[in-house]
Amino acid sequence: MLLEIKGVHFGYQQEAPILQGFNMHVARGEFLALLGPSGCGKSTLLNLAAGLLMPLDGSVKFNGSYLHGINNNVGYMTQGDTLLPWNTVAKNILLPLELRGTPAQERSDKLERALKLVNLGDARNKFPSELSGGMKRRALLARSLIYDPPMLLMDEPFGALDAQLRETMHKELLSTVNRLNESVLFVTHDIAESILLSDRVLVLGGRPLRILEETICPWGKERNLDEIRKSPDYAKLEAHVRGLLRLADAEQYADAPKGDA
Amino acid sequence: MKTNEPPVKDEPEHLAKAPVRKSRNRIRVENLAWQIAIGIIFLSIWEYASERWISALLVSKPSRIAQTMWEWSIDGTYVKNIWVTLKATIMGFGGGAIGGMILGYITATFRRVGEVLEPYVTALYTLPRLALAPLFLMWFGLGMEFRVMFAATIVFFLVYYNTYFGVREVSNELLAAVRIMGANRAQLAVRVVIPSALVWVTAGLKISVPYALVGVVVAEMLASDEGVGFLLAKSASQFSTYGSFAAIAALLVMALLTDWLLETITRRALRWKTAGSASQEQQH
Ligand SMILES: Nc1ncnc2c1ncn2[C@@H]1O[C@H](COP(=O)(O)OP(=O)(O)OP(=O)(O)O)[C@@H](O)[C@H]1O
Ligand SMILES: [Mg+2]
Repeated sequence: MLLEIKGVHFGYQQEAPILQGFNMHVARGEFLALLGPSGCGKSTLLNLAAGLLMPLDGSVKFNGSYLHGINNNVGYMTQGDTLLPWNTVAKNILLPLELRGTPAQERSDKLERALKLVNLGDARNKFPSELSGGMKRRALLARSLIYDPPMLLMDEPFGALDAQLRETMHKELLSTVNRLNESVLFVTHDIAESILLSDRVLVLGGRPLRILEETICPWGKERNLDEIRKSPDYAKLEAHVRGLLRLADAEQYADAPKGDA
Repeated sequence: MKTNEPPVKDEPEHLAKAPVRKSRNRIRVENLAWQIAIGIIFLSIWEYASERWISALLVSKPSRIAQTMWEWSIDGTYVKNIWVTLKATIMGFGGGAIGGMILGYITATFRRVGEVLEPYVTALYTLPRLALAPLFLMWFGLGMEFRVMFAATIVFFLVYYNTYFGVREVSNELLAAVRIMGANRAQLAVRVVIPSALVWVTAGLKISVPYALVGVVVAEMLASDEGVGFLLAKSASQFSTYGSFAAIAALLVMALLTDWLLETITRRALRWKTAGSASQEQQH
């Protein structure tokens, strides 16, 4: 098990805990997608895995050992903008490599590849303040993909991309992840995306957070996304998950007024 | 004949000029013209009013001041005194700024140190700096050290507070993101904390330049036999208004020059801040 969350309690305020004895794991090389209504606690889970938050009780284990503070074996693409405003796009994307002391030649090779991947070649010398929202997301994406950490935490990475680029990114992400046998913990609101990309989907909901259902996506590692889209199994899975999510949504909003007290 | 030309509003639409933003250079030239015009008008009124409306003993007149400035330029009075003042200002500014940046960085980085020292720093900051003058005079005498120290204490606190808040303001989100990527303490400081704090620090540096100059000039007026402040005090004590104005003119030029110099230096370091705004230096 690469990531193991066991019996975790967590809450921002004492009265309405988000997690209560929550269990979850990600195997080595596994692509796990999290689906759930807005505000249910998906980002909180990623923050726990990144070591940015500490559980109040229970344990978070990474690669067999307890997390003490920041987990720098993960690449984390957060929901927010964490580009350094004083560095250009190229310098931002290079940051993880520079911190690691990667040799110059390898660095520039990887930079070229990353820039091409996310289509930001022309914007390489721009500062983040000169980028559109989608361009910022792409730069962040390139930065989290450039240094091949054993695990990627991705919080709605493709939300702001156009459909075309999204598809390219899907294929690119899968091939990178498979080549390096990386694990991915992937948050999205896009049901189709979660089913296409992942090995397993967790539909989450409720407060305290529960796993409403665990769905296995039986496509195998060498998957052809276009083929899958056409298959009846895919349509069935999609409809099933959509139904679950609707339930989770209803529960979330029914819960809301009670949670306030 | 041109008389029956159609009125402008009937012009075909494709010939009418669409409203576009004035180019930056055009605006700059216009501004400069206004600035010069205002200066000339002001000086002319002053020249005219002096002796006619107000006693020349109190306000002197531009031509008389210009004459003094010319004399001082030729006999070396300006060069000698400006150099003395400039040297003290630079040393006071440099010392105060470096001290302020170092202590500000330390107290902001090591929270407990900052918390423990806070009442002392606040007390010293609130203390009127002029109250220190007699002590400083006793310690350092009439020489350069007194002026430098006096200016440095003023600059120190301004830069200290700006550095302190600058370092404390660094976004936790950015820090976390870069730490996850594997940054150690030193890398965090170089890649995140310092560039982020630089906005505040340069603001602190910019506002403290005039204060450094004020500190030195006040110190020169209090106790010195050289420098622009001394020139000012001496002229005033001899009821020479034109001398006072000539000294003030030197201060004005020094202030403008140092401000311009600092602006030029910091603009590059903070290019990322202005990069996104539409009022960029480019033309259309
Ligand atoms: N820093 C914080 N302080 C206090 N409460 C927080 C904080 N961050 C999140 N919360 C609360 O915790 C709950 C879960 O937040 P979280 O960000 O994990 O949701 P999410 O599932 O990622 O939602 P979304 O899909 O909208 O990103 C929310 O109700 C939110 O109000
Ligand atoms: Mg979230």
